[in-house]
Amino acid sequence: MWFLIRLMIGGVFLAASWAKVLAPYQNFLYVVQAYQVLPSWAEVLVAQIFPWVELITGLFVFLGLWTPWALRAALTLFAVFIVVVGQALLRNLPLESCGCFGEWIHLKPQMVIALDSACFLLTFLLLRQIIQTKKFSLDSYFDRI
Amino acid sequence: MNKKQLSIVIVLVVVGIIVGIKMHSPTPDKAPMDVHMGRSKGNPQAKVKIIEYIDFQCPACAFGVDFLKKFFNDHPNDIYIQVHYFPLTNMHRHAMTSALYSECASRQGKFWELDDLMIAQQSQWAQLISPDPVFQSMATQVGMNMDQLNTCLASNEARQVINDEKSAGQSLGISSTPTYFINGKMVVGTKSLQDELKTYFPS
Repeated sequence: MWFLIRLMIGGVFLAASWAKVLAPYQNFLYVVQAYQVLPSWAEVLVAQIFPWVELITGLFVFLGLWTPWALRAALTLFAVFIVVVGQALLRNLPLESCGCFGEWIHLKPQMVIALDSACFLLTFLLLRQIIQTKKFSLDSYFDRI
Repeated sequence: MNKKQLSIVIVLVVVGIIVGIKMHSPTPDKAPMDVHMGRSKGNPQAKVKIIEYIDFQCPACAFGVDFLKKFFNDHPNDIYIQVHYFPLTNMHRHAMTSALYSECASRQGKFWELDDLMIAQQSQWAQLISPDPVFQSMATQVGMNMDQLNTCLASNEARQVINDEKSAGQSLGISSTPTYFINGKMVVGTKSLQDELKTYFPS
């Protein structure tokens, strides 16, 4: 069961990042700007780099490669999402959609907080059950040889 | 192959695939500048050419239209503006209807007049179940020929123009509105528009 949850968490990151890395970065920059937490220069940097960080994290979690480190990165990303979306909700920023899945899925910020919190908890549990989490992973293959 | 080598190979393969896909996509620099006479204003030889992709029901687009209108009035000879349709029909229920009225107004040379009214009253008609009576009243107000308008609305031609323009926008990577191409450079949202225009007009 734990490895299935690992695949799901990796899949969430892959789905969230795929459309963003393929689209012009300006689309994600528009999303980042809507959260009003960073100076302009940092918004551009985040818009260009963040989707790649999500993609690589998702890939490593999905494949089970450097699993503990990939899960810690995933945990950090979920925490960042919760804080950023949470502050937008507290400040009543006019967000029509979170922008987290590019144009594939439109989620209301409240739903994103719920989804990210659930994923944060599951990722934390994956780290606690690291042996079962590594089942059917590239890590387990390298551990055997 | 050890674990570190495999990790590097996986990352390189994925990055290679994505870069390959992106290289075969149309780039924003190839944004069209064809003549859409009824929806263009300013000096065609201006140093700054702006194409705006908008949805008339999108609040951010209304903000952008207001900003550009003021900016255009301050720099009438230095800017050329062309509007393209990008109705977000999955988010805004009157996106297509408002675009249709705009296209029909454009065919009577009344695009900018109707655009001003639509944007100014967006928050009111966006709430209505059917905005047609309001749009018809606006059309009368700007002096449109109502028979021609209704023939245009009933035809498939205007809708086709809008859908074609949206498809062209999608192929350029547009997914949100307002999206602008300033001398071919893509910027999304009014904040980026303002930042980009500052590079041309620093004062």
